[in-house]
Formats: sequence, structure tokens, C-alpha cells
Amino acid sequence: MRRTVYLILTLPAVAMAQGWGNVGTPKEEEFTWTKWWIEPLFGGFWMAWTRATLAFFVFIFGFIAIMALIELRYPGGNERNGVLGLTTTRGDRLFIGLLGSAYVFLTWIGLFGTSIVVPLILSAAWIGFCFRKV
Amino acid sequence: MKTENQRAWIFVLPVLILVAFNALVPLMTVVNYSVQETFGNNQFFWAGLRWFEEILQSERFHAALGRQLFFTFTILIIEIPLGVAIALAMPRKGLWVSVCLVLMALPLLIPWNVVGAMWNIFTLPKIGLLGWTMNNWLGIPYNMTVSPVAAWITVIMMDVWHWTSLVVLLAYAGLISIPEAYYQAARIDGASNWSVFRYIQLPKMKRVLTIAILLRFMDSFNIYTEPFVLTGGGPGNSTTLLSIDLVKVALGQFDLGPAAAMSLIYFVITLAVSWLFYTLMTRNEQ
Repeated sequence: MRRTVYLILTLPAVAMAQGWGNVGTPKEEEFTWTKWWIEPLFGGFWMAWTRATLAFFVFIFGFIAIMALIELRYPGGNERNGVLGLTTTRGDRLFIGLLGSAYVFLTWIGLFGTSIVVPLILSAAWIGFCFRKV
Repeated sequence: MKTENQRAWIFVLPVLILVAFNALVPLMTVVNYSVQETFGNNQFFWAGLRWFEEILQSERFHAALGRQLFFTFTILIIEIPLGVAIALAMPRKGLWVSVCLVLMALPLLIPWNVVGAMWNIFTLPKIGLLGWTMNNWLGIPYNMTVSPVAAWITVIMMDVWHWTSLVVLLAYAGLISIPEAYYQAARIDGASNWSVFRYIQLPKMKRVLTIAILLRFMDSFNIYTEPFVLTGGGPGNSTTLLSIDLVKVALGQFDLGPAAAMSLIYFVITLAVSWLFYTLMTRNEQ
């Protein structure tokens, strides 16, 4: 009889120690940088921003802003004849670089799947090539 | 050195705001949607580049893109030479100039969905003038709700009917801007009609034809309303062009993620081809 009473008295403590007290309470989610990068930035907003897509646009508009600054410093657009036989200004080279990068990504994704490291390197190389040679 | 009046920038501002709201914000939203999954209620889940992979490897997308390219290049091959020929045949002065111009402008004034509906009725086998004539009078089976070939012929005829006028008007504008002195010089040299066309008229029309080809390419590559009203993409999927397929994915199936990825691929193709056309055709002008 006494043993049963002890058992009943200690049961809650044992259960708590085993973690039964946490049943039904939301689990504290671990912070990971990946999650931080891709989670909705403004929850419930229809434009559906994430940090990853925001960074994409910051990159493109940043590039354009740098172009504007360079244009203010050295006006005239630095026109020249490139290896493609086209007369290009700085802006043209950026356009060709970005458009080409889009195709690099699409081709890679279509052929080999969604890994982005290789197309990223190829695109950077292509943009570099555009600014040096095209 | 501060010389110029910078007030012009303020006048450009409204346009900039307009473009931001009708082009830039939607485009950004599409980019955001293309890497996420949603079931409505503005809740989004990250999908990465999965939609792009799915679309790029899907048979359905390849087929729609193939149909789209076929449509666009067919109508370009018909409309550009036809438009130039009609412009050459039009009178240069006198009363008939205005008559011809008004007649040419008429198809352009008709709303797109009405054009689709008109051609739909026109080709119906029982009551349409063309459909009845073909089936009952000439004995050629022609029913675009049954035969893919008939559907394609109708879609292409409709586009040619609707948009050749644009090419005509542009080419005509190029033609009448050629000074009379060129023709006189050609006559003195005893140039044939073909030489006049090849060495005087065509080079002078080059700029407007560039614009015509660009406009017709972009418009026909993005065409939606007319074939949608006319055939609805059928019979089966035979006239489901890229835009019709896109709307099916986005609004029919409510797959906003794949639809966004698809529209971005669509956008990049339009952008590249337009740029290529423009660059190649204006390359030798500098």
C-alpha cells in the first residue's frame, strides 16, 4: 500500500523529468542561417519577399547604381568595338552580361538540376568577360 | 560647371512612378513567387529553383514553346512581305490615299477579343461565311473545332488579317519619306522596278521595318486574347500557345510558383530575341 502511494507521488516528477510536461507546447525552432535566408521577410505580404530574393534585386540595382556613378565620373559610356563585333557602352555590357547569366542559369537548371554553385561561377566569369572583351 | 536646367527630371518622374507600379513591382513579385510555393492566404514556402527545373524539363512547356515559335515565325514570314507589297501598291497622292489609309487602319481599331469572336463566327461550318463556303460549296472539310490544321490556318489568317495593316502603315510611312529626287535619278539611270525597290525603297524602309518586325515579334510572341477567344487552345492542345498555357497554369490550376517560373523563362526569351533583332538590324548604322 505504502509503495503504491510513493509510486503515485513520484510519478509526476518522473514524468516531468522525461519531458511529458512539454507535450503540446510549440517546439522552440532552431536558428539556422539557411532558414533566415529563405524565410518570409514580411509575413503575409503579397509580394512575398525573402532575404534571398531581396539580395538578388539589391545586387542588380546596386550594379546599375554603380554604373550611374561611373557614368557621372567618366561620362560618355566608354563606347568601344568588342569581340562580338558590336559597339557597346558600359550599360550594354552589363545588359549582355546579365542576360547571358540568366541563360547560363536556365541551361544549367534544365540540364543538371538546381545546384547553383557552378552556374554562379560561370555567370560571374561571363559578366567579367563581357566587361573586359565585349 | 553648372549649366543645364535639371527640371526635365521632375517631368519624367510621373512616368517613372507609373512604370515602377505597372512593370517593376509586378516583375519583382513574379521573381519572388517563382522560388516559392503558396496555397493562398499570402502564406509562402520556399521552393528554391525547383519550379524552374520542373518547367524546363516538362514536355508540356517544350510543346507550347514550339507552337509559339512556329506561330510567331509563320506570321512574320507572311505579314512582313505582304505588308511591304501592299504599301508599295498603295497610291502616294490624291483622294485614294486617305481611303486606303482608313481601310488599312480599320482592323487595328477592333478590340482583340472582338477579332477572335468575329473569326470564330466567320469560320463556323453551319453559319459562318467562310466555314459554310468551304464545307458546303467547295466541299473541303473545314472545322476548326475538330481539325488542328483548320484551327492553325484560322489562327494564322486571323493574325494576318488583324496585324498586316500595322506593317503596311509603317512601311508606307517609310516609303513616302523618300524624296522624289531618288526616283528621278533612278529613272535617268534606267533602273528597273526591282532595282528601285532593292537599292532605294528597301534601304529607306529599313528602320521602320526593323520596328515593324520587333513589334510584330513581341506582340505575336505574347499573343493571348485572339487565339483564346477563337479556339481556346484547342482542339485538344493543338493551338495552346505559351501565353494560353501560362494562364492555364496560373489561374486554372492556381500553381503560382510554376507559373511565375514559366513567365520568367518566357520573359527572358522575349528579351533576348528582341535584343538580338534590334542589335543585328541596327549594327551597321553607326
